[in-house]
Amino acid sequence: MSGRFVLWFVSLAALIAAYTLVASRVSRPDVLPSAQDIAEAFGALVGRGYQPPAGEEHHHHHSSDQVEILQQQGVTLQASLAVSTARVLFGLVVGLPLGILMGLLMGWSRRADDYLHPIYVLLRSVPPLALITYVMLWLGHSEAHRLIPIVYAVAVTAVIPTYHGVRDVAGKYLIAARSLGARGWLLLNKVLLPAAAPAVLGGLRYSLAIAWMTAVGAEMLMAENGMGNLLVGGGMWSSRLQTRSDPAVIIVGILALAVAGWAMDAVARIFSARLTRWAR
Amino acid sequence: MQKVKARRAVVALLAVAVLYGIAAEIGRGRLPDRIWLGAHYVENVQLLPTWRSLAEEGAFLVESEILVSSIAVSTRRVLIGLVLGSAVGILLGLLTGWATRVEYLADPWVTFFRFTPALALLPLYVVWFGYGETSKVLLIATNVAAITLLGAHQGVRGVPRVYLDAAASLGAGGWLRFRKIVLPTAFPSIFASVRIAVGLAWVTIVVAELIDARMPSLGYLLALAGAYPRVPTMLIGIATVGALVLVFDMLALLLHARVTRWMRRTA
Repeated sequence: MSGRFVLWFVSLAALIAAYTLVASRVSRPDVLPSAQDIAEAFGALVGRGYQPPAGEEHHHHHSSDQVEILQQQGVTLQASLAVSTARVLFGLVVGLPLGILMGLLMGWSRRADDYLHPIYVLLRSVPPLALITYVMLWLGHSEAHRLIPIVYAVAVTAVIPTYHGVRDVAGKYLIAARSLGARGWLLLNKVLLPAAAPAVLGGLRYSLAIAWMTAVGAEMLMAENGMGNLLVGGGMWSSRLQTRSDPAVIIVGILALAVAGWAMDAVARIFSARLTRWAR
Repeated sequence: MQKVKARRAVVALLAVAVLYGIAAEIGRGRLPDRIWLGAHYVENVQLLPTWRSLAEEGAFLVESEILVSSIAVSTRRVLIGLVLGSAVGILLGLLTGWATRVEYLADPWVTFFRFTPALALLPLYVVWFGYGETSKVLLIATNVAAITLLGAHQGVRGVPRVYLDAAASLGAGGWLRFRKIVLPTAFPSIFASVRIAVGLAWVTIVVAELIDARMPSLGYLLALAGAYPRVPTMLIGIATVGALVLVFDMLALLLHARVTRWMRRTA
C-alpha cells in the first residue's frame, strides 16, 4: 500500500518538475506560464475582486489582460465555482428523477419500452449544447437556457443505467418475488428499487461528469458568471472563443474544476456505497 | 415479437412527427415572430417551423451543398479524434489495468483527466496549438481517451482471477494470457466505453467548431443559424448532428457484432 503512495507522489512530482523545466526552457509565459505565474493568477482570482488602482502601483500582480478584465467584472474563482456547482446540482436534482422515471418505465413494461425506446434514441442523439440557441429563442436570454441543457444531459444519461438495472438485474428477483405473491407497492419498494439501485447509482456518477461538462460548455458559450465564463474571460457570446486567453487563468480554472469534480464524485461514491451496502 | 416491436417503434415515431406538425400548424401566426435577443429585436422568427418550411430549408441546404460539405468536414474531425483518442486510451487502459505499477504511476494523471470537463481544455488548446485543426481534433481525442482508458482499465480489472490462475497453472505465459483471456474478457467494457465516447465526441465538436469558426462545419452552421436566428436551419442542424450520432452508434454496434461473432448472443 505504501508503494502505491510513493509511486503516486513520484509521478506527481515528476509531472510538476517536467512542467517547470519545460516552462523555464521555453520561457514564453503567454504559452506556458511558470508555476509562479499560475500561483499569482490563483491569488488574484481568489482575492476580493477588483480594487481600483488608487494612485500607488499595485504590487504582486501577475498582470495579464484576462486577470484584469475578470477582476474589473468582480469575478472570483470561488464565486464562479459556487455558481457552476449550483447549476450542476440543479441539473442533477431536476434531471435525475426525470431520467430515472423514464428508465424505470422502460425497464418495467415491455410495451412502454417498445414505444418509448425509439423516441429516447432520438433524444439521446442530440448533443445538449446544440439546443442552447433554440431554447434561448423560446425563453429569452435568461438562466433557463443554461439550465435546460444540463437537465437534458443528466436526464438522458440517467435513463440507460436505470433501464438495464431494472430489466437485467432486477428481472430475476422480480420473477422470484412475484411467484411468492408479492405485487404492487411491495414489489416496487422492496424488490425492484433495491435491486436496481446499484446500477442507478452507478449512472449517477456518470451523470455527474456529464453535468459538469455541459455546465462548463454552456457557460463558455453564454453566461456572465460561472467557471466557463472565467475560462474564456467573458465577452460577447458569438466572439467568445475567438479571443486568446491567459493560460495561467485557464490552468487555475481547470485545476479548480478537476478538484470540484473529484470532490463531488467522492461524495456520490460514499453516498452510493451507503445505500447499496446490502449488495456486498 | 420482433414485428410487434418494429410496428410500435414506427407508431411512436409517427405520433411524434404528427404531433409536431399539428403543434407547428397551430403555432403558425399565434406564436410571437418578433423576439428580443438580449440586445435587439429580431423579426420573422418561426419558433416552430412547419414541416413544409423545414422541407424547403432542407432542400436549400442540400442543393447549396452547405449541409453535405459541413457533414464531411465535421465527420472527418470526429473520426480522426475518435481513432487517435481511442487508440491511446485503450492502450493506456490495458496497460494500467494489467501492470499495477503503471497504474500507480498513471493514477494522478488519469484522475486529473477524468474529472476535468473536456471542454474546459479548449481555451488552453487554443493557446497551445492555435485555432486550426489540431486544437479541435486533439480536444476530441483527449475526451475520447479519458473515457476509453477507464473502460479498458475496468475491463482488465474485471477479468476473474480464476481464469488467469487456471491458465497460468496450465503453463500459459504472460502474453498468451493477455491475448487469449484478458483481451476477450475486457472487450465488452472497452466497447461500451467507445460507444459513450462516440456520443461525447459529437458534443465536443459542436462547441470546438466555434473557434476559428468558418464554414463548412456543423458547429458553425448551428451557431450562425442561432445568430440570425433562422430556426429551420437550426433544427435541421440539430437533427443532422443527431442523425450522425445515430449512424456512428449503429456502425459501432455492427463492428461489435462482427468482432464478437464467437460469443453466444443473449439479448
